[in-house]
Amino acid sequence: MTIISRRLRAARMRRRAAGAVAAVIGAVLIGACADLEIDNVNAPTSETLTGAPTRAVLARTAIGVQTEAKNDLGGEIQQWGIYGREGWNLNGNDPRETGEEISGPQEPGGRAGGSWSGKYGAIRTINTYLTGLGLATDMTPEEVSASQGFAKTLKAWHLHKLAIRSGPVGMPIDVDRPIEAEPAPLVTSEAAMEAASAMLDEALADLQAGGASFPFAFVPGFEGFETPSSFAKFNRALAAKVYVHRATFYSCAACWAQAATAMSASFVSASGLPGSLKDGVYYGYTGDPGEAANPVSETLDNNRYWVHPSIITGAQLRGSGEPDLRLTSKTFPAAAPRTLNDLTGTHKPVMYNDPDDPSIPDRGADVPWIINEELLLLRAEIRWNTGDKPGAISDIDLVRVNAGGLAPTTLTAGSSDDAFIDELLYNRLYSLMWTQGTRWIDARRYNRTGDLPIDRPGDVVHQHMLIPTAECDARGLQVPCTIGG
Amino acid sequence: MRIRRMLFALAAILALPQLAAAQETRQITGKVTVVGGEVPIAGAIVSVEGTTMETRTNNDGDFRLIVYTGQVIVQARAIGYKRAVQTVQGDQSTVNFSLERDVLQIEGVVVTGQATTIDRRSATTAVAHVSGDALNTVAAPTLQNALVGRVSGVNIQSNSGAPGGGLQMQVRGNNTILGSFDPLYVVDGVLYSNQTIASGRGAISAAAFTAAEDDGVSRVADINPANIESIEILKGAAASSIYGSKAANGVVIIKTKRGQVGAPRVTVRQRVGQFQPSKDLDSRHWTRDEAIAKYGAGVAHWFDGNSSPYFNHFDQVFSNDKLSYETGIDVSGGSEFTRYFVGGTWKRDEGIEPGTGFGRQNLRVNVDQTIAEKFQMQVSTVFNRAEHERGWNNNCNNFACHGYAFAYTPSFVDLNARDANGNFLTPDWGIQANSIQTTELARNEEETNRFTGGINLNWDAVNTGTQTLRVVAATGLDAFQQNNNLWTPNELFFERSQTLPGVAIEGDGLSRIFNWNVNAIHNFIPGGGSWSLNTSAGIQFGENYLKTSRITTTNLVPGQQNVGQGTNTTGTENLTKERTIAFYGQEEVRLFDETLLLQAGLRAERSSVNGDIDKYYVFPKVSASYRILDVLGQGSEIKPRIAYGETGNLPGFNQKFTLLGTPQLGGLTGFTVAGASGSAIVAPERVKEIEVGIDGLAMDGRLTWELTGFNRNTTNLLLQRVPAPSTGFSSQVFNGGKIANRGFEAGIGVTPVQRSNLIWVSRATYTMYRSEVKDLAGLPAFRPPLSGFGGLGVTFIEVGEPITQLVGRAFDENGERTSTDVQIGNTAPDFRMGFTNDISYKALNFSAVLDYQKGGDIINLTQFLYDDAGTSHDYGSPEWEYRMKGYNNGVMTPYIEDASFLKLREVSVGMALPDSWVARAGLGIKSARVNLTGRDLLTWQKYTGLDPEVANLGSAAIRNNLDVAAYPPSRSFFLDISLGF
Repeated sequence: MTIISRRLRAARMRRRAAGAVAAVIGAVLIGACADLEIDNVNAPTSETLTGAPTRAVLARTAIGVQTEAKNDLGGEIQQWGIYGREGWNLNGNDPRETGEEISGPQEPGGRAGGSWSGKYGAIRTINTYLTGLGLATDMTPEEVSASQGFAKTLKAWHLHKLAIRSGPVGMPIDVDRPIEAEPAPLVTSEAAMEAASAMLDEALADLQAGGASFPFAFVPGFEGFETPSSFAKFNRALAAKVYVHRATFYSCAACWAQAATAMSASFVSASGLPGSLKDGVYYGYTGDPGEAANPVSETLDNNRYWVHPSIITGAQLRGSGEPDLRLTSKTFPAAAPRTLNDLTGTHKPVMYNDPDDPSIPDRGADVPWIINEELLLLRAEIRWNTGDKPGAISDIDLVRVNAGGLAPTTLTAGSSDDAFIDELLYNRLYSLMWTQGTRWIDARRYNRTGDLPIDRPGDVVHQHMLIPTAECDARGLQVPCTIGG
Repeated sequence: MRIRRMLFALAAILALPQLAAAQETRQITGKVTVVGGEVPIAGAIVSVEGTTMETRTNNDGDFRLIVYTGQVIVQARAIGYKRAVQTVQGDQSTVNFSLERDVLQIEGVVVTGQATTIDRRSATTAVAHVSGDALNTVAAPTLQNALVGRVSGVNIQSNSGAPGGGLQMQVRGNNTILGSFDPLYVVDGVLYSNQTIASGRGAISAAAFTAAEDDGVSRVADINPANIESIEILKGAAASSIYGSKAANGVVIIKTKRGQVGAPRVTVRQRVGQFQPSKDLDSRHWTRDEAIAKYGAGVAHWFDGNSSPYFNHFDQVFSNDKLSYETGIDVSGGSEFTRYFVGGTWKRDEGIEPGTGFGRQNLRVNVDQTIAEKFQMQVSTVFNRAEHERGWNNNCNNFACHGYAFAYTPSFVDLNARDANGNFLTPDWGIQANSIQTTELARNEEETNRFTGGINLNWDAVNTGTQTLRVVAATGLDAFQQNNNLWTPNELFFERSQTLPGVAIEGDGLSRIFNWNVNAIHNFIPGGGSWSLNTSAGIQFGENYLKTSRITTTNLVPGQQNVGQGTNTTGTENLTKERTIAFYGQEEVRLFDETLLLQAGLRAERSSVNGDIDKYYVFPKVSASYRILDVLGQGSEIKPRIAYGETGNLPGFNQKFTLLGTPQLGGLTGFTVAGASGSAIVAPERVKEIEVGIDGLAMDGRLTWELTGFNRNTTNLLLQRVPAPSTGFSSQVFNGGKIANRGFEAGIGVTPVQRSNLIWVSRATYTMYRSEVKDLAGLPAFRPPLSGFGGLGVTFIEVGEPITQLVGRAFDENGERTSTDVQIGNTAPDFRMGFTNDISYKALNFSAVLDYQKGGDIINLTQFLYDDAGTSHDYGSPEWEYRMKGYNNGVMTPYIEDASFLKLREVSVGMALPDSWVARAGLGIKSARVNLTGRDLLTWQKYTGLDPEVANLGSAAIRNNLDVAAYPPSRSFFLDISLGF
């Protein structure tokens, strides 16, 4: 091999080496420019709601706010119903149903810590919505105001229910803060209910400044209350109820008058009875594919829900000798009684079944949120406590006669407060049973939990729920924690 | 940007070294053959030591090699043979080599990078190696079945006995809680998906965990064991760090068969065999009075004409004895420029449950083409169609599953009993289900079509005798579509009692992995070869796409199975996509005549699933080995080695996103802030591992061993904290904490006899590791996802305890139920061992694989079901009373059992038919073999249930060894005939 050929070979090698290096550098350049921005297309991300959300996004969020009003509802109907002896769960697949719920002790990591996260989740959505409304650029001031009034009404309602569940253990309300921030401080439930009242009043002002229509649609359940002015009547109904609760839970004497004012602006009506008893706002269900179904509706041969026997035996009789219509329309005898852990049920709740054939569950049955029947009873309570006792008796009778098919009450203006409360609570129970834990809440409001039936030795009536373990843990507090520490 | 600058610098260095100064050269020729015969070895590599000069032998074993003038040392090596070295004098122009068979696999190379390998003798890390022949001796449903007992450091366990796969493979223990927990599979350089896509069965059978209890097929089942040439498993972080943040759980590198130069060789293989149940469970015997007392007078008729009826429902239901078969044809061959391998397989495994089974149709075409003198192309393609019918087993709360229903079906019931019209009797024993009816009417079918293909281009750009520069580029695609069809018709007893009877499910999964890489490799052997440098650098890009969707319809029109033929239809869809780009560089230095090897490498990568997609995560590795020669006699070697490496585990696709809820009502859809909060700063988990070992060979290569100890820590774990619920969020992903895994593994190979007509090769593997949760970044102890059933024994992540511990209530020293959960078991075995023996005597061959697991605990919830139903076979006995004390008090310790087992995994007896017989048959047959094989023939176990190797929640990061009426285990026998043309 000559020196020349060697040089030629070396030159060829150099050219090839340069080519090889160029190939690699080219690949590096292509690779370095690779686009790694990949969106998540499975669901909208939180960025959709931050910044200045569009009108369309906010309209959808309003629908989300409406659907989240139902958060925790199925659990509450059952759990608060069991606490207040409206019914039992005798399925037998969870020992807590006939144990912890009725005889304690309450477990903050489980059932007794419930009815919390669902509502705070809803409040998170509402707060995000309210923030978005403040930044929206394609909505009129009236639309923003109407939307705020709507959202604050629902937020206040969540706070109010949280206050009911928590009672003396307290709860946080100032929760509109980043996930990384210190958890909001605990306040008393009394303060929380006061905040709820204030928020409802603020919401009313927003609704009144909200023009003629909302910039979003409503899910089933709000029929008749879908404009700012009609929604304001719903707002006032809730406000009246919250004032009544503050008056009874926390002896807020001034609240009775405020309740009366709110009530007069609500949709309460003595005309069109008995049909108008059911007018009002409902938690809507459809049971359609992909949509929520009524959480407590079930067949007659299902072993879950049973009516407490005291409700069967306690019903007053009509002139015909038949029991209160509200009992016969809302309960139905099971084919066979069921006994579990010394508790025996004979009747099934069927208010969410087909009225013509109670054996058929209605997956689309709505749950009353606040309806005229309850408003009449609330107005009776307000009137009794604001000096209008004949008016109170007349309201009670509207419900007794039209809903229960019963004779008018024997109460007179001279009856004792206790006698009135007996009559009020009887009617509230039969009108509102298995919708909102009314027996438990009313007994607590009037210090009558001691009067609730005790079925087995050692059973107790729980006075409130607990702050969930995870909430205490996140605050570094000993479980179970309370506002006291 | 810093990375890019670094790489430019690297490229500049590569180009720098002197490329001229070549010495005078000459040519030598010779032949490479098998020792003791004239059989030529084609494709053997003949090279000059201390230089980069090398060549390959042709079809006749002949070679022609350019060497320097003067004396040179020439080496010949070939896959499957021990290398040989000869000194060639300056005046010598021919040299011949005869190579000995490498029965213990001393030779060969191990992977050190995307395009680099190193002699196994010098390897700095423990890399498990299995040859394709070993995998294919005994018919195996899937690759993982075939690997059991053959590799150390790897724990392979099946989830159930369902046909066609569903195994879990764990390399060096559990290393993650929320991250991916499967090894990375790479087939011929193509990243290969091992996704498990649930069938949706749980939606029908009312399973507690709807996806995890579906008996899903891990899609590595699509790899045809018959195609495999070799498998390497990169276990430690130092070895696997070349795959960066996908390699935390090890890497399984599979090479498939390729053509050799030569005339076409045809191999036809036919297998016929059968699967049989290997165990069943007994049930309580009943008297008429007992039966009536428990089930009512309605069951009295079962005792008509028979005072003690007893039916074993396992025998009644798991009765499928159809034959299974596998037909395979391989054709390979090639010329100097083109080599090819074509393999086809047609296979059907029948499951013991009627209507279940596994089928495969597979076609592989591999082509190697020399495009130009220095330019080679390798193409690898395979199409695989798989059918799986997995049946009806595992946990289900409506008795759609057999084992579960058996517990509640008393033994006096004849499931085959029918009325005058041939219809099954309406169940009168308390549950609405008849398993035989279920096997006859219910469908659970899965079909997967998969293409995997890759191209590898190799350009030997420069070879000066002292330096080479190679550019390797590769790209590949792995794509499959899985379709699931389930149908439970309205007339099934368990459907009749539903509100919306009859279910049809149409499920689809679409997976696509695309990747490419470009590498430059520079090898520098300065004069004489006492030291050398190997420098490589490259870039790799990968995209991983997976879409799953499912349509479920209930309330079907009777008799109809179309998802359009029902009133209540819902759909789901989920799409994930991940892109990762990585740059890497690595340096290998050999010193002291190639006895000391030092390696160091760095991989920097960024990925779309990280919170910061612009950030490069860097994974370093450094390792060394030193070969001490001739300590234990001539030819012996002892090699101490040490390695440190880091790898990662990428976050899940969803973990950086906070998704909105989209509730629907009244035809409207809303937005809500959902409970799970993502983390905008989520980052990969990081595995840091140090590994030390001593490998060696002695007795003329008849004894080899590999001993390895490792200590790995996974840091920056992906964890979920629970924020204050009043924030409105229920969980948030974050990085933190640490898990430690320490272990020891050994592989020993010995050839007790090696004569010309008798060879006995024996191997043993040992695997042991211990895990400990070191730190949870302040989180309280928690149940990981898919931990099990609360109160029935669950896995539990707790600082200071093994990650695989089981907790539950126990009895304290006073016999009282403990007030809190305590540790009641550990699912990880104490250790595992495998024993493999191959004996060849003349034309006869015998081989066996034993698999031993010591320890580990299993939760026998199947027994729990029988006790719940009052149907246990030992009803009323002291053992039963002991269990019932636990049952009645919510104490699980009586149901925790020892999972130790010894299984005879494989047995094969065969012979090569004498050439004279073969010749007499004519037909061009050159060779013929007949084998009788068996898999899982015998099991010795302490477990009272069916199979201690079971996991109801199959695809869980932390295996919980839950036995909830799984598909029963089976054994298989095959007659195997292969003919060579």
